[in-house]
Amino acid sequence: MELFLERLISGLTNGSIYALLALALVVVFRGTGTLNFAQGELALFTTFVAWWLTTQSIPVWIAIVAALVLGFVMGALIERTLIRPVQRRNDMAVLIVALGLFTGLNSLAGLLWGSETKIMPSPFPNGLDDYVSIGGARLYFDALGVWGALIVLMFLMTLLFKKTKIGLHMRAVADNPESATLAGVRTSRVLAIGWGLSGAIGALAGVLVTPLAPQQLGLTTMFSIFIAASAAALFGGLDSLVGAIVGGLVIGVLEAMLTGYISIIGGSLQQTSALIIIVAILFVRPNGLFGTQKLVRV
Amino acid sequence: MTTIDTPEKTVAPRPSRTPKPRRRIVVEGSAKHRGIQALSALLVVLFLLWAASQPLFRVGQFTNVFIIAIAIVGLNLVTGYTGLLSIGHSAFFGLGAYTTGILITKYEFAPMSTIPVAVVLSFVVGLAVGLPSLRIKGLYLALVTLAVGVSFPEIVRRAEDLTGGATGLVIRSRFLAPPEWTGLVRAERGIWMFWLSAVTLMLVMLLARFLVRSRFGLAMMASRDHEIAAAANGVNVARTKILAFGISGAITGLAGSLFAQYIGALSPDGSFTLLKSIELVTGLVLGGIATQIGPVVGAFAVVFLPYYTASFTSGPLSGVVFGALLIAIVFVMPEGIVGRLTLLSRKVVTFLPADHPSRRKGERPPEEPT
Amino acid sequence: MTLLTIEDLHAGYGPSDVLHGLSMTVEAGEVVVVLGANGAGKTTTMRAIAGLIGRRGTIELDGVPLGRRPEQVVGSGISLVPQGRGTLGQLSVLDNLLVGAALRTDKDGVQADIDRWCEVFPVLGRRQGQLAGSLSGGEQQMLAVARALMSRPRLLLCDEPSLGLAPIVVQELFATLSEINKTDGTALMIVEQNAELAMDLASRVYLLDVGTIAATGTPADFRADDAVRAAYLGY
Repeated sequence: MELFLERLISGLTNGSIYALLALALVVVFRGTGTLNFAQGELALFTTFVAWWLTTQSIPVWIAIVAALVLGFVMGALIERTLIRPVQRRNDMAVLIVALGLFTGLNSLAGLLWGSETKIMPSPFPNGLDDYVSIGGARLYFDALGVWGALIVLMFLMTLLFKKTKIGLHMRAVADNPESATLAGVRTSRVLAIGWGLSGAIGALAGVLVTPLAPQQLGLTTMFSIFIAASAAALFGGLDSLVGAIVGGLVIGVLEAMLTGYISIIGGSLQQTSALIIIVAILFVRPNGLFGTQKLVRV
Repeated sequence: MTTIDTPEKTVAPRPSRTPKPRRRIVVEGSAKHRGIQALSALLVVLFLLWAASQPLFRVGQFTNVFIIAIAIVGLNLVTGYTGLLSIGHSAFFGLGAYTTGILITKYEFAPMSTIPVAVVLSFVVGLAVGLPSLRIKGLYLALVTLAVGVSFPEIVRRAEDLTGGATGLVIRSRFLAPPEWTGLVRAERGIWMFWLSAVTLMLVMLLARFLVRSRFGLAMMASRDHEIAAAANGVNVARTKILAFGISGAITGLAGSLFAQYIGALSPDGSFTLLKSIELVTGLVLGGIATQIGPVVGAFAVVFLPYYTASFTSGPLSGVVFGALLIAIVFVMPEGIVGRLTLLSRKVVTFLPADHPSRRKGERPPEEPT
Repeated sequence: MTLLTIEDLHAGYGPSDVLHGLSMTVEAGEVVVVLGANGAGKTTTMRAIAGLIGRRGTIELDGVPLGRRPEQVVGSGISLVPQGRGTLGQLSVLDNLLVGAALRTDKDGVQADIDRWCEVFPVLGRRQGQLAGSLSGGEQQMLAVARALMSRPRLLLCDEPSLGLAPIVVQELFATLSEINKTDGTALMIVEQNAELAMDLASRVYLLDVGTIAATGTPADFRADDAVRAAYLGY
């Protein structure tokens, strides 16, 4: 029983990370209709910056906030300078630019800080004794911290989209940019904010994932997380926040259970499992499990 | 009618047309055209002969270029002509390579005879990867290919017994000796691989050209440009996409097979990771999407760029350069180098098909509009 | 007092212009109808005023040059009801209206306006929480008009409001527009291909042809001219 609980806990924790990154993906998709392929690497880059700050004797929490701010700024800048000019042309152009960012950011991180794995300090108490016992299983504080971060973010996002003016405008721009513009919404600003927000959320996912063992900070850390997050986002058809969160948690738990109980799979085949999940979902529901049917006029 | 007034319509005067320099017309199939083709062929042969005479290290580099070019020709079919971005082609490359490697070391196949197996296997896997395109749109499909590309090294690492896992697979050079009919000795396998790759590249390019100009090629491009219109006109879009993936995978798998024979040592984290996929896409975009010579130009760039940038710093700089390059191309030259050259050449020369209506009637050939 | 003055307007898409020196005026509180065949440039004119496309020439509102960006245009008091309605389908009816008030900061005023338009268009009141995309064509048209009115414009531009609507619905719509024009003094510029109904509201009519104004007059003049009537009014 306690093994099951431990797996569940581990699954929920990983799942929270997937959910966080998936949220970032959904925010961008709702605003611009594209998937930000470079989301994972942007998160990686900002996390590297956070790590570097901690090596300069800056406290972890401040480093994390700095990473969030940097994520916001970079996200907005990228949208303004790289994505918007190209969006009008065609979908593949945007994908290729994102691909370029993917490689560029990853390699830049390696160039600036080297490719050896780094130890990112955890913002939560991380010692061997820092846990709570539930049904015999250990719930470590840092796992609890990750769950907490997800819950807080979920709350903030719901507040943002449902109750604030800017949230309404973001939804309007995502729905029909021209109508929003005609109503006086400053569409360009809204788009930049959307990407900025997404960059910040991604940064949060990045700094939270790395302290969790066995993940330490390396150049390939975010690959598998990005894939799992994409699968999670697809749960909601890329435009449902709830779907992304549910998807992330489900994928995290599924992975933990599969790797725990079926030893053939083992940790390193999680990407393939995520792949299969993606394909399966899209086959059955091309618009995602929670997604809304979009009519395409010919 | 009391108050309706009709003001003069002012239409901006048409700008005067400066007489344009008369463009040269070359009719396809004419003596002039054949002459140009023969000259090009001669230049290619001369280049190959020159390249083959270079020091062994350079010969190896050129061989690498040819192999990558073959891989990019494959990618071009599915991404350039069918419009499906694939960032997982490194998996086909690796599949071809490991098939050859395993067949040679474990089952003692002759190297050349592993090639058909690698091609067929890659074709089948390509079909499987293309299968989701039945229901999944471009963006999502790209995600699927990403996952495929990332899974491949994992699977290789897992299947240790077969592939040697993370430590890799070494093909002893005695297995890679040139076939007897060439008259070359084992030490000359570099030259053998050079010519084998060059010839294979040319054959593959001819095949691609034939494919693109066929009805299937039309179906590919129709699916890319306007899926719904294509379907409305009877194109079986799903089948086209799946087949395109299959053929594309097969060609890139072929490149992988040659690569194994060229390099002799395979490791999952060496040349079969996501970075390889990105290299292939970069080469394709830089050379020119949906052009016939673009893959070759792109391959040259992709192989030689890291070589020259490596002299500045270690490894990751090439990644930064590729990334920056990809972005720059989309902004500055989305049609790629070959695309841009083609556009420029159109100002100077027009190639007319032999059965163009103006020729049949004996009229003047058409001037292109401004 | 002339509300809107357009002088020598040139606008288009890409290298070629659609409008070649268009000039027209709208008086405060007036209803102006713009007729023209397909391709004449009616929608282009609206989009140029609204700031969606670039333009050359002068547009003045109350003698002051009009801004070129959409948010400036809306801020100055001109609102466009686009062709095809431009409904924000995934948002609720209420949210659609709130988006229309994007530039307003007076919460109470906004709420009062929402209540008012839900009264004027009862169907909106009934379906406030519903997804706008699930409304019928006529209902969406009313929503589009209400949305545009949320910014309290002094001039409302309507691009083919009757498109795709049943005649009875169109009648109702124009009756409501006429009401609003009389009560609030909101000037209307209505663009229509076949504008028999719209002409009942209008005090002046412009005929747009190949990018310029070909003729202008009162509705009576237009109805009296057989050629114009046959060509543009359909009888």
